[in-house]
Amino acid sequence: MFWDIFLQQVANGLVNGMGYVLIAVGLTLVFGVLRIVNFAHGEFYMLGAFVTFFAIKLLGVPYLAAVLLATIAVAGMGVLANQVLFKPLRREHEFTILMVSLGLSLLLANGGEIVFGADPKYIPSPFADEAVELGPVFLTWQRIIVLVAAAILIGLVYLFIRFTTMGKMMQATAQNRDGAALSGVNIDWVHTYTFALACGLAAVSGALLGPTAVIFPTIGEWAVLKAFIVVVMGGLGSMGGAVAGGLLLGIAEALGANYISIAFKDAIGYGIVVAVLLWRPAGLFVARK
Amino acid sequence: MTGLRIPGAAALGIALLLALPLAAVGDYFQHLLVLWLLFALMALSLNIIVGYLGELSFGHAAFFGLGAYASAMLTVHAGLPFWFGLLASAVVAGFFGLVIGYVSLRIKGPQFAILTLGFGAILHSVFINWIDFTNGPLGITKIPPPRIPLLGFEIRDGVPFYYLVLFFLLLSAYLCRALMRSRTGRAFIAVRENDVLATSLGIDVFRTKLLGFVVATMMVGVAGCLYAHYIKVITPGLFTLHYMAPMIIMVIVGGKGTVTGPIVGALVYVVLLEVLRASGSMRMLVFSVLLTLSVIFLPGGLVSLLPKWRGQGGREKAND
Repeated sequence: MFWDIFLQQVANGLVNGMGYVLIAVGLTLVFGVLRIVNFAHGEFYMLGAFVTFFAIKLLGVPYLAAVLLATIAVAGMGVLANQVLFKPLRREHEFTILMVSLGLSLLLANGGEIVFGADPKYIPSPFADEAVELGPVFLTWQRIIVLVAAAILIGLVYLFIRFTTMGKMMQATAQNRDGAALSGVNIDWVHTYTFALACGLAAVSGALLGPTAVIFPTIGEWAVLKAFIVVVMGGLGSMGGAVAGGLLLGIAEALGANYISIAFKDAIGYGIVVAVLLWRPAGLFVARK
Repeated sequence: MTGLRIPGAAALGIALLLALPLAAVGDYFQHLLVLWLLFALMALSLNIIVGYLGELSFGHAAFFGLGAYASAMLTVHAGLPFWFGLLASAVVAGFFGLVIGYVSLRIKGPQFAILTLGFGAILHSVFINWIDFTNGPLGITKIPPPRIPLLGFEIRDGVPFYYLVLFFLLLSAYLCRALMRSRTGRAFIAVRENDVLATSLGIDVFRTKLLGFVVATMMVGVAGCLYAHYIKVITPGLFTLHYMAPMIIMVIVGGKGTVTGPIVGALVYVVLLEVLRASGSMRMLVFSVLLTLSVIFLPGGLVSLLPKWRGQGGREKAND
């Protein structure tokens, strides 16, 4: 009995953790390449969930097509946000950019409340109700999709960054923006691609995680806080760190909620990040300076 | 820079603040004036961290809540007088500020913001879940109004409360000014502008930041106490981003790194809050647009529009 519950909690934690990773990868990419701490990242998660919802409701497209549509649409919105807000401010102090992203975050969350309505909504997914039994562990198909899709997407992002020309240009920009520009890397394009990729990933995670609970316009706040914990824990700008941090957070939260107290679930996450930052201020996976 | 003479513009401002209740007819306007000063005190304290130290603390609302709870619990549960609660709120908020600052200030930038957010969230969780001690989400009610010892005169709402808050606001503003004119204040600016260079000049960056952080948390603790005894009902909501976001908006829109900026920012906030009351959820949208626009187009905040005031804050501005 003990092991059944334990395994179930670990499985739940893994699914939640993979969700966190998917949200956090975009955040860490934008920081790594553009040096922007994007507080509005969670809002793109929220937009992903809501575009999926309205694509199903208004256009009547099937769930998976709606996910794809949301990803493309929100990636476009991310590019727009970069062009309008972040590109003109590229040379400003990081505090200014932080504040602008905070402003954008409040803007999208409150704008979302007006446009979408504040009441909770439920994304109808054909996979949300059917459960699978894996030994002692029960998971819905939706949660398995989250797990598998997140693993595949993160693998693809890794391969993209590692092996494609654009990916290599992103790496170069992350290492040294001016140096990359001098070697002929088109920084504007790199930034546009990075934003599209990051916001697209946030939208996919919103579209996939959305059906596992209800959605409302302020979930972006939740998403960005979780992503920040993950990214700060793993090390800002590190992809491997985001993966490790996300899984660690997901599992610790699930076990903590079960064995300590569900009321303190969020506090457990913050407790871990506090402990990690005190031990290694730059994060777990970044070399000490 | 001998002594701290009050310059003309500041004297005019203080005279205006002292005379303002005479012009405010009716409970409603008096209530708005008190709210303004309470927000101004909160914004002024956050400004020490954001404007002078150049760090962003997302945990500042938690110290506001700690101050409010410290005083409310001592006066309601232990029956102690208001003045004792006031002192306790500064001590409790300052103590937590010391501990949390000691831990967090080793880190800077976005990590610092997240770490303070984390501590704030942990405190919020504790206050909402430790029901035996804090009464949980229901909070504390029937908080008594401040009472002046000996005279037995109760400071209830309206004009008397305005002057009570004004006293602490002016005291804090004076403190900020005095601090920034001192060697320590110049060290703050040096640390904000370039901490490596500051270290090389023999400034203990960590101690300097910690001092600023503790002063700011004590100040916001006092603001929390005054707020609790004015509104008379407090809940753990005080610890959250619902109080944090307005504080940031007030400091940035008004003008960070100045004494008048946060006070002006609080005025803009309170006025807009009332003007836009009918528009409901549009309010926060307007505030977020305001925040974004002022960061981009008016980095010095509203006070930078008035050259006269800029002259007054010349020493602080000169370092920007």
